Amino acid sequence: MSDQLLLTILLMTLVTYGSRVLPFLLFKGKNVQGFARDFIELVPIALLAALVVPELVTPAGTIVLIQNPYLWTGILTFLFSRFVPNLFLGIVFGMTMFWGLDRLLL
Amino acid sequence: MLREKEKQKRVTEDKGFLYGLSQSFSIVIGYTPVAITFGILATQFGLTFWEAGLMSFFVFAGASQFIAIEMIHQGATPLMIGVTTLIVNIRHLLMSLSVVPFFPERTLPWSLGLAQGLTDETFVLNTNVLKDIDREENRRRVMLGINIGAFTTWVTFTIIGGLIGKWLPVQFSGFQFALLALFIILTASSLSKKNYMTYLLAALLAVAFKLLIPGKLYLIMSVVLAAGIGAWWRGRKAHQPGFDVPKSMP
Repeated sequence: MSDQLLLTILLMTLVTYGSRVLPFLLFKGKNVQGFARDFIELVPIALLAALVVPELVTPAGTIVLIQNPYLWTGILTFLFSRFVPNLFLGIVFGMTMFWGLDRLLL
Repeated sequence: MLREKEKQKRVTEDKGFLYGLSQSFSIVIGYTPVAITFGILATQFGLTFWEAGLMSFFVFAGASQFIAIEMIHQGATPLMIGVTTLIVNIRHLLMSLSVVPFFPERTLPWSLGLAQGLTDETFVLNTNVLKDIDREENRRRVMLGINIGAFTTWVTFTIIGGLIGKWLPVQFSGFQFALLALFIILTASSLSKKNYMTYLLAALLAVAFKLLIPGKLYLIMSVVLAAGIGAWWRGRKAHQPGFDVPKSMP
């Protein structure tokens, strides 16, 4: 295993276990409220947007809308999983659509 | 009198580790395909099956592991992945905070052990199950059972998925989209009236920053800004008279 990967796993473990264990070690009866709580609650959805949307809209570094299998597959996968809320089926659907559109649009 | 009652409860509800383990079955069903998918994708993205297993063993946090292999694939630095993992997994702080009151008398080994197995899914299940169990000693054992059932499934099926991935043909172009599909499915299930503005803002900022700033810095910048503005907006709305903001758990 490369040092890079080892360091990656180490850091990931540190921050993940850290956020799990700190309340167990330090909790004295207070709870997170207000801005901090809202912020933490909104991080996952914001991250999903930041991870997905740029990859769909700018797959090769510039904005492409029509000749873009990523964008169309993304939209179709979103619609599909709104109606069929199954993780495995959704991934299979997305991969198959991408494979098809990738061939069609090139 | 009180002791008598205590004794009675002990006889009727002596639920422990095995009870927790059996309760974890629904999580086992849910984790198996996701863990297999993670194993397959990790090997498709250049990790070996045991490296994938090691990540599952130590990190044990699904979404951040998928994000990590995507970022490794794109050449992000360990520090970058570490910071991203922190912002993804900081939500465990909230879950941990709301589980801790079940264990007022906890010892250090129990604290270290029970915290290890806290995920979105074990949190939901534990919260449901623990509230019906009267003695703290039993609650600890039940939570341990639930956590170990989930953890063992996650690690075992990551390795099995990795082994499957090793034998799959790499040529299928659909794999390029597998992770994006996963994130899109998660989006479809978590997008709501309460958070869609933050989603749109983050998307807009991320695209703009990606075009303007080299590297992967756009991820953290857009997330922190969008979640910050979203939280500030919620706070503003909460202070308006007559506006009732329901408090919900993650």
